[in-house]
Amino acid sequence: MKKIFEVALGIVTSIGGFLEIGSLTTAAQAGALFGFQLIWAIALGGLCIIFLVEMSGRFAAVSHHTIPAAIRERFGFNFFVAPMIGFILVTLLVLAAEIGGVCIALELVTGIAFQWWALPVAFLIWLLIWKGTFSVIEKGASLLGLVTLCFVVGAYWLYPPWNDVATGLVPSLPAKDEARYWFIAVSILGASITPYLMFFYSSGAIEDKWDESYLGTNRAVAGLGMSFGSAISMAVLVVSAIVFMPRGIQVDHYDQVALILTPAFGYWGFILFAASLGIACFGAAQEISLEIAYFIAQAFGWNWGEDQKPRDAARFSLVYTVTIFAGALLVLVGIDPLKLTIFSMALTAATLPLSIMPFLILMNDKRYVGEHRNGIISNVVVTLIIILACVLAVVTIPLQIFGG
Amino acid sequence: MGDLIRDVLDKQLVDRNQNSIGKVDGIIVALREGKPPRVAYIEVGTVALARRLNPRLAKWAAALERRLKVSEGEPYRIPWSKVREVGIDVEVDLEWEKTPLISWEKWVNEKIIGRIPGA
Repeated sequence: MKKIFEVALGIVTSIGGFLEIGSLTTAAQAGALFGFQLIWAIALGGLCIIFLVEMSGRFAAVSHHTIPAAIRERFGFNFFVAPMIGFILVTLLVLAAEIGGVCIALELVTGIAFQWWALPVAFLIWLLIWKGTFSVIEKGASLLGLVTLCFVVGAYWLYPPWNDVATGLVPSLPAKDEARYWFIAVSILGASITPYLMFFYSSGAIEDKWDESYLGTNRAVAGLGMSFGSAISMAVLVVSAIVFMPRGIQVDHYDQVALILTPAFGYWGFILFAASLGIACFGAAQEISLEIAYFIAQAFGWNWGEDQKPRDAARFSLVYTVTIFAGALLVLVGIDPLKLTIFSMALTAATLPLSIMPFLILMNDKRYVGEHRNGIISNVVVTLIIILACVLAVVTIPLQIFGG
Repeated sequence: MGDLIRDVLDKQLVDRNQNSIGKVDGIIVALREGKPPRVAYIEVGTVALARRLNPRLAKWAAALERRLKVSEGEPYRIPWSKVREVGIDVEVDLEWEKTPLISWEKWVNEKIIGRIPGA
């Protein structure tokens, strides 16, 4: 009975916690510009993150190592430095984008410009972690995050042409704007395949002292949680395709996106959008701040844990404190949150081989995962998707920056 | 020898109370005439770690630690005889609070974290 409850809670919180600034924005852009044509990118990214989250839970349950600790131990510190610095920099940008998302939601509701919210939002994120009631807050934020299901309801109410939606699951070439099409595909992959998510999930499994008896729970949570989560992203794309594309609205500013749900829900659509954006980004910002601190503590062998008193894990607390305010600083100086989001998602895609390939090697190392090591299918699927994402990113990022 | 480096270097260190006290940042091997080499110490600390990357970085780390009075600018050495168990972690028969390994944690606590209300 307890297991069933755990599985249910795990699935529900991963659905509620799935949508964040990256998946929301990239799906909305894709729908507005290319209709249902890019749904395949969300499906492909979703498939990859299902495999990766399942692997990271399995790794924790079988090896009892955190992922950063194992990568350092297996490959040595000199190698480890590169993925570590890459991960921290890219994830810091993603954090800034999430903080920006919360600020935009507040701007939509209050009319006060987003920059002004950067410090108050950062302070609240920090305070909740500092107070050490994080496990409660995290589950709370994920449950509140279920408000993002309004996109699924909205998509259903707008009577989408299901045939066209299904056709979008098969990749096809665009009729116009090829560079833009592939760039958005890359950002979608970067928004779906988020290394921080799998590291965070794995840290949680270590804290909860998972063993091999959790492998079933893990499979269910990863498989169902990530599939339903991706379904919400697809719903955002579908709503955007129906609402924005016929009106020729491109998603260049968040005040345009804010109206995405009004055709389905009227005035409440606006409130639902602001609530979804604010809650989803707030939850993600908390997870990311903690994950950066986890990562560094696990890499250097410090005490870490979400429920430790700050003075019992001083360096750990220092890292998340500095991280949160560094992220807020990028918003405070007025960097456009939408540009920041798109750029950090593309950068995530470009650096995927660096962050994921060492982990994939560990997943095939008997000394860590014994008989539970990866099969050929999961190895091939993850490797191919990651290489595709990286190659597309390396080709399209310069085109996007210099091509105007 | 390669096996030992594979098994011990960069592993998590814990004290006898299961505190996470750092990583095995370096290994000191004693060469003995006519006999196989033997591990004498494990080294822990920023300076030992920095030395593996770049000698200049190690100098900076040492200068920083001396300046902040965190250490004398040398890595802390734990005699191999203190090692109790090598498993997922390397457990040593020491108490964190009684070694210099706690000095960075203490410094951050005294200068920054401990001063914030609610710590």
